[in-house]
Amino acid sequence: MTKPDSAADPIVKVDDLHAYYGKSHVLNGVSLQVGRSEVVGLLGRNGVGKSTTLKSIMGLVHAQQGTVLFEGKPVTGMPAHKLARSGIAYVPEDRRIFRLLTVMENLRTGLDRAGMTESRRHELLDKVYELFPILAERRNQHGGTLSGGEQQMLAIARAMMLEPKIILLDEPTEGLMPRMVAQIARIIEILHREGVAILLVEQNVALTLECSRRVYFMEKGETRHHAAAADLTVDDPVIHQYLGV
Amino acid sequence: MAIPWDLIVVQTVNGIVTGMILALVASGLTLIFGIMDVVNFAHGELFMLGAYIGVLVLASTGSFLLALTTASLVVALIGAALQIVTLRPLIGRDPLTTILATFGASLVLQNYALWQFGPISRKIAEPVSGQFHLLYLEYPWYRLVIAVASAAIIGAFWLFLKFGRYGIWIRATTQDRVMAQAMGIPVPWVHTGVFAIGAAMAAASGVLFGPLVGVEPYMGLPWVLKAFIVVVVGGMGSFGGSIAAAIFVSLLESYASIWVSPSQAIIVSFVVLILTLLFRPTGLFGSASR
Amino acid sequence: MTKRDTRSFWIGFAVIVALLAAAPLVLPPFWRHFVTEILIWGLLAMSSDLLIGYTGLISFGHSAFFGLGVYGAAAALLLVAPPNLFLAIALGLAAAALVAGFVAFFSTRLRDIYFAITTLIFSQIFYVIIFTWTSVTGGENGLTFTRPGLGVPGLYVVRFTPTTMHWFVLAVVALSYLVLRRITRSPFGMVLQAIRENEGRTRAIGYHVEHYKIVAVMLSGVFAGLAGVLYALQNEFAAADFVFFLVSGETVIYNVMGGIGTLVGPIVGAAFFLLLREALSRFFTEYYLIPLGVIFIAMVIFMPQGLLGFARRWLNR
Repeated sequence: MTKPDSAADPIVKVDDLHAYYGKSHVLNGVSLQVGRSEVVGLLGRNGVGKSTTLKSIMGLVHAQQGTVLFEGKPVTGMPAHKLARSGIAYVPEDRRIFRLLTVMENLRTGLDRAGMTESRRHELLDKVYELFPILAERRNQHGGTLSGGEQQMLAIARAMMLEPKIILLDEPTEGLMPRMVAQIARIIEILHREGVAILLVEQNVALTLECSRRVYFMEKGETRHHAAAADLTVDDPVIHQYLGV
Repeated sequence: MAIPWDLIVVQTVNGIVTGMILALVASGLTLIFGIMDVVNFAHGELFMLGAYIGVLVLASTGSFLLALTTASLVVALIGAALQIVTLRPLIGRDPLTTILATFGASLVLQNYALWQFGPISRKIAEPVSGQFHLLYLEYPWYRLVIAVASAAIIGAFWLFLKFGRYGIWIRATTQDRVMAQAMGIPVPWVHTGVFAIGAAMAAASGVLFGPLVGVEPYMGLPWVLKAFIVVVVGGMGSFGGSIAAAIFVSLLESYASIWVSPSQAIIVSFVVLILTLLFRPTGLFGSASR
Repeated sequence: MTKRDTRSFWIGFAVIVALLAAAPLVLPPFWRHFVTEILIWGLLAMSSDLLIGYTGLISFGHSAFFGLGVYGAAAALLLVAPPNLFLAIALGLAAAALVAGFVAFFSTRLRDIYFAITTLIFSQIFYVIIFTWTSVTGGENGLTFTRPGLGVPGLYVVRFTPTTMHWFVLAVVALSYLVLRRITRSPFGMVLQAIRENEGRTRAIGYHVEHYKIVAVMLSGVFAGLAGVLYALQNEFAAADFVFFLVSGETVIYNVMGGIGTLVGPIVGAAFFLLLREALSRFFTEYYLIPLGVIFIAMVIFMPQGLLGFARRWLNR
């Protein structure tokens, strides 16, 4: 199997990251990189530290060792809100919609920032409302009243308000109906075409392979292997090795 | 025993007036609790400091409105400083340590006031003189002014929370601190800001209340106690619940003081608290979620 | 605990008690009285440590238990002639236990901040009652009474001198310490510590957490009441101020300053606080709480283990 070429000019580069929850060692040497407008998958069994990897890139989990570079500059230890404003968006596994805020207010949390012009706001809103017409329909409804799929769309739309250069996308299809899963794949494709990089954590292997250019495999808190998505199939021995039950 | 209807009418008005001030004190406290799980023990002292600054500004300028705004602004700054110095270092530690830190701050502020201003109560002249007839009583207009002013401040704040950019930041942070930060909201500064706003609201209530009984270094404690009660009875962290509970508790105390002395009437609020804790620990007025 | 640890503990205990027993013989009256007071406040602080340090509940209402101890003793001394020491202790403890039971019943339904606020508010209820019920409690003026003698009335009674009073206080405090230490190391104490570490899990294992908490609050209240009785005997007066919130606040300060969860720490904290107050009052007169509050906040932030924990870490370095 050929080693895939890593991005020449990575937007995010993670090097030997270690993190602990209390005394348990949850990240044990994570290294990966994501190129500009590249979609990269992160696969592994439950509990190997995929979500924690995303959280530590976002600065939500404190990494005790290792570095995260964003656009070539070290950002390890930088507070999450600064990272969000410099172009990293995070869509968590459980979506974490602000349940008591309306759809519009949820979007505003990412829109109300310095340097935002009125016309740009409208552009961004129009774009997500076009992409997710259902959100336009429910714009004055509380986030908590949306269905699971609608909440997922809102979570992605909300992240898009930050005009990110990279989105850390954690299990976007979890618990969704097949029709919704297809829509998520379409959105990833659209974002990719617009030049947004995505680091995708997914249980759905087929979707990951379809969307990503490269895939990393994690085991025991460590990135152990990485391959070009095109070289892999759902039944690949590598997939079985890292994901098989 | 005949029911003293006339007294009940008067006490209803009194209860609503003190209820509105209490609501102003408690909504700051509940806001701070809701967003950062901090019970601000020094809240009563911020109320007291506001009243003193009001006294000073009023004495030198003669303008009550200026006294109100200056006191609110200065105490907001004091609140922000307090939050940065004593609470920020405690982020990530047991929330109980924040009670200890704010308790320490309350001791410092209280004794500072004692040292600066002495133990003797100072009067603030009522900015609105004149009375109107309430049954057989001459009822001071100023008391109604207090109720209206408190309601106006609370209302303005509610509008800000509902529609203002920073209001949305505050609500988002209250609901999910981590996600708010991931959306680019500077959560540490939102915390500081909320503490400052809560402090300003306490200070404003201090200035409004000052003319009723005078200003002294220990005036904060009964208010912070009642505000605690209101916050628990209203459902911890619930803004609307606190306001409802403030009026409810003040009315009850007001009626009770028809028969007992005001210092004993406070026991009524204590009893309300105990009953609430027994039968509805999530609060009488708040919804369980927040 | 190994045998050697046990031996060094008893040696240390004996040395400290001996030093404290010798104190009134060598110290001038002011400092003798000072040491006696430290022991009394130390007992109050220690009682509260059972909750703060071992159960994870911050009580801001210990003044109620302490104050009821004071007033219980006062009632026995004023109402029964001739005044009887043991009756005073018994009534003081009974009053404190009653109040503690009442407070415990309600407050233990709550955790964390809610517990702290509830205990504070309960103590204020008792303060208001005592402050306004002037005909019985003397209200603002308080009550004065005379200290009974030590011994069995009718058989053999000696009058207390300041020195014997000090020894009496020392004996009670030292004994209380041993009892509290025994409690914290008993299976019961282990359950309390489990509640502190993880209440949910302790409940899941099958312990009735509320019952344990109620007993903990009552035990703590009884020892606080004992401190109140000693205070009444030492100072021969009772005042509503002893039920006031400030006493509870200072009790918490002693704990934090000395180091919670150690029993000895709170006594050290009380000594530190009272010495600091003494020193600071020289410069700041009655406004000593300004610098003291600042020191307290700094200790909360920078020295969460208190003086004892700090010293321990420093010695182990």
